[in-house]
Amino acid sequence: MALGKIKADTLEHSTAGSLDTKFVVNGSAKAWDNNNTGSGGSLTSTDSLNISSRTDVATGRFALTVASAWANSWGAGSNEYNILAGTSTNTRVVAADADNTGTTTLNGVKMFIASTGSLNDGSRSMVIMFGDLA
Amino acid sequence: MTATPEFQGTHLFDRLCWAKENLDGVQSDYRVVYEDSVDECAKILVPDPNWMACALQGGILPPVWVYHELAKDEAQPDFKKHTRGYLLHETEPMPAMTEEEAIEYLIMKDCPQSVWQTWDEGNRPKMVICRKEQLPQTREWRNAWRISDDLTVAA
Repeated sequence: MALGKIKADTLEHSTAGSLDTKFVVNGSAKAWDNNNTGSGGSLTSTDSLNISSRTDVATGRFALTVASAWANSWGAGSNEYNILAGTSTNTRVVAADADNTGTTTLNGVKMFIASTGSLNDGSRSMVIMFGDLA
Repeated sequence: MTATPEFQGTHLFDRLCWAKENLDGVQSDYRVVYEDSVDECAKILVPDPNWMACALQGGILPPVWVYHELAKDEAQPDFKKHTRGYLLHETEPMPAMTEEEAIEYLIMKDCPQSVWQTWDEGNRPKMVICRKEQLPQTREWRNAWRISDDLTVAA
């Protein structure tokens, strides 16, 4: 594959100091998804990166499956390696779905109303995931 | 049509980034409805447009058996972290698929194996491929959605 490459372990600013590039590599989002509850009553994607499918699980619950797998998972052992954050319309809160055990490809997501905590479908949600890839 | 670079040996994530830059997303009308628990409502799997573009383009996605190998590793009780992630990146990528072949691949990748391996065993099918127009048009009673008992299964 013909790609231009700049190899550097450190980026240095003239006054602000230096940054190890491993922070950039490890700290970038590895998957994201922008979806809505479209016609037909199930989720449709507006745009995404590293997502192979989204599964409409139930009211306020869906799952995102990645194409390039995580190195480890929420479901592996006792550690929660990957970080998921999101936002939704209409003051819904988006969070990892602890009831839908994650794997190195499957990531459960739930949406609930902030004031009551009850599961609810937002018309649109944005999810960002961080973690190490396999 | 944009030619796919030689990607064998390139990290899958880098290939997906290339695809996002160079390929237009393909919105599939296919949906996969499945039930993996008698206590839960039907789930609906929706293909991702960028992923579908990769499948139709060819030369980007690894064979589905790679994911099954990783799933086997993950099922081990002492699993901590993948050590065979190279399978995703170094295995020869899949050639271009039709949309229907891509849906079959996606079922084997993203649906539970307990569903797709025995989808037509038992009293009623537990998985159905349909078009989005065949789904309910609103989310009313979403938690009660089930695969219809009146379904005629194609031979």
